[in-house]
Amino acid sequence: MMDIILQQVLNAISLGGIYALLALGLAVVFSIVGLINFAHGELMTVAGYVLFLGVLFALPLPFAVLLAIGAAALAAVLTERLAFRPMRKADATSLLLTSFAVSAILRVLFQNGISARPKPVPLPSALSGTVNLGPVHLGAVPLASIVVTVLSLVTLNLFLKRTTMGQAMRAAAEDFQVLRLMGIKANRVIAVAFGLSGALAGISAVLWVAQRGSVDPLMGFIPVLKAFVAAVIGGLGSLPGAVAGGFVLGISEVLFQAFLPEAALPFRDAFVLSVVIAILIWRPEGLIPAKTARRS
Amino acid sequence: MTRLGRLLSYSAAIALIGGTAFAEDVIIGLATGQTGGLAPFDQPSLAGFKMAIDEINAKGGLGGKYMVTLDIKDTRSDTGATVQAAQELVAEGVKVLITPCDADPSIAAGQISQSAQIPTLTFCGTTPTITDAVGDYMFGTYPADNGQAALLAEHAISKGYKSAYILKSPDSAYTLRLPEYFAEVFTAKGGTIAGEGTYGLGQQDFAAEVTKIAALDPQPDVIMTAAYEPDFPAFLKALRGAGVMAPVLGSDGIDSPTTTGLGEIANGIVHTTAGFPADGTPLGDFYKRFTEATGAAPETVYVATGYEIPYILDAAVTAAGTMDGPALRDALANLEGVQVLTGKVTYKGTNRMPSRDITLVEIQNGARTPILTATPDPASVPAP
Repeated sequence: MMDIILQQVLNAISLGGIYALLALGLAVVFSIVGLINFAHGELMTVAGYVLFLGVLFALPLPFAVLLAIGAAALAAVLTERLAFRPMRKADATSLLLTSFAVSAILRVLFQNGISARPKPVPLPSALSGTVNLGPVHLGAVPLASIVVTVLSLVTLNLFLKRTTMGQAMRAAAEDFQVLRLMGIKANRVIAVAFGLSGALAGISAVLWVAQRGSVDPLMGFIPVLKAFVAAVIGGLGSLPGAVAGGFVLGISEVLFQAFLPEAALPFRDAFVLSVVIAILIWRPEGLIPAKTARRS
Repeated sequence: MTRLGRLLSYSAAIALIGGTAFAEDVIIGLATGQTGGLAPFDQPSLAGFKMAIDEINAKGGLGGKYMVTLDIKDTRSDTGATVQAAQELVAEGVKVLITPCDADPSIAAGQISQSAQIPTLTFCGTTPTITDAVGDYMFGTYPADNGQAALLAEHAISKGYKSAYILKSPDSAYTLRLPEYFAEVFTAKGGTIAGEGTYGLGQQDFAAEVTKIAALDPQPDVIMTAAYEPDFPAFLKALRGAGVMAPVLGSDGIDSPTTTGLGEIANGIVHTTAGFPADGTPLGDFYKRFTEATGAAPETVYVATGYEIPYILDAAVTAAGTMDGPALRDALANLEGVQVLTGKVTYKGTNRMPSRDITLVEIQNGARTPILTATPDPASVPAP
């Protein structure tokens, strides 16, 4: 029994890690532009298709993975330049609708330009292996998600704390107007935020695709939904909050799946969302609210 | 060219030829999901459907005398939009309506064509209750869930499996009922159900569910599910990762390159499919012809099942001699042993979900091998 509990805890941490990366991608952009980018999922799809091409042309896997992450970052910067920058002065609702539009356009482009059918992304069989840690097994992919999540969080933290651009981004999250008065170029900060968000989407896409084995035009929908829920639980716009929210969501999903009685299992998501509601009643601003000078 | 223009030019062409026989123009309406969630099924079905209609028109039309024009409406995979499209098509006077590869929009659209007495066929809706939910003008075309389940259960029994674990999702009729039909037949034939698991469509993470399967004692002899991608690969990876090596049975939803792309963990999977394109078979030849015509091989067997529908209609129109609703309905309902690419299709004696051949394939080393093609024994097919 101890083994099973330990196993489920590891399962929970692994899923929570992916959700944390996803939510972080949304939070980076929201903290600076106040936009919930619902096209975040389609950035993942872009990374997925690039990974598909990389595997198809037998590129070395690490190279294909880097290319996929780069493509998602590039796609994020491009959507910012083409869709969101012209809308910068618009209110939050218009920005939100713009992101829905970007997402819908990209999905139809994938469906009619690539294929409506899923494309297989066969990864080396080493990645479907299992690592045995004493009594518990951990699949290579879930193990990789834990490692990659930790590495990404540490790197992101160093970037935000130690580099000028990182500090500018943190300042922008607190008060964008004051930052601009300091002579920092807004366009550059925003472009970097989108690029960073895209790279995070790319990293989570690689983990996501490795688990599902294929990429399809509509694949971004569920992850962006999870990311949104996680970001809201954590406190919109707060980076530590997004991470905490991701873990809370992932852990509650796995624990309910593991320990709910069989008859209640079809209602698992209702239980998870009850936890979300309870958290929001307890802390309406989220677990770790963003520090912000934004006045509503 | 506008639809009117197309109609006029067809009429003109026929007038010029002088029409050896009396030829008539008819419209077939398609309200299917060419974008959105059903596009992976409806797009390939439509590609095959169009190809067959072109061939039939070149030979003089349905039943040798009805030249077909298609009116294709995209429903964006939305049930409301499907109803609207069906209404427009019915108002336009289509002779036959084609609905999406899914029960809900097919049933909703069917309500409209049923009262207008227009025979309606679903592309690849597999839920066996679709037809009775609508009425006598609604027809299925694809192997139904209960038939697939019966064949899988018979296979499991013949392999000597005594206990089965089934994984189902209440999110769709297909992922819920197909494993339940399987359990019904499997237990009726002497097997036992060792356990049941539940997942959500698009769940992605199966670690929790799989940990429970790994803890079962004794382990089940076989695991059966109607999960399809992306859920099926994620489930299989987690299952094998947790050290559960029991053989896996699946349904036609995993007849996709993704499954063979899973590598050695997919070895030994047996699943149903509408047909296997072996060299020298009618289906194999069709795959070659389609590849030559479009420059790309069919990505799925839905292209072939879509292609078969106009030929099923052709047989019915030939038998009825007319495309009037009631006569065509009766002719369809009495079809018996119509030869199509994947085998023979029979409606006579069914609830308008056809009795037809289903193929079982086994995956080994990234390739499929057909192991059995059979029409499920009606006595063992569970009631819908």
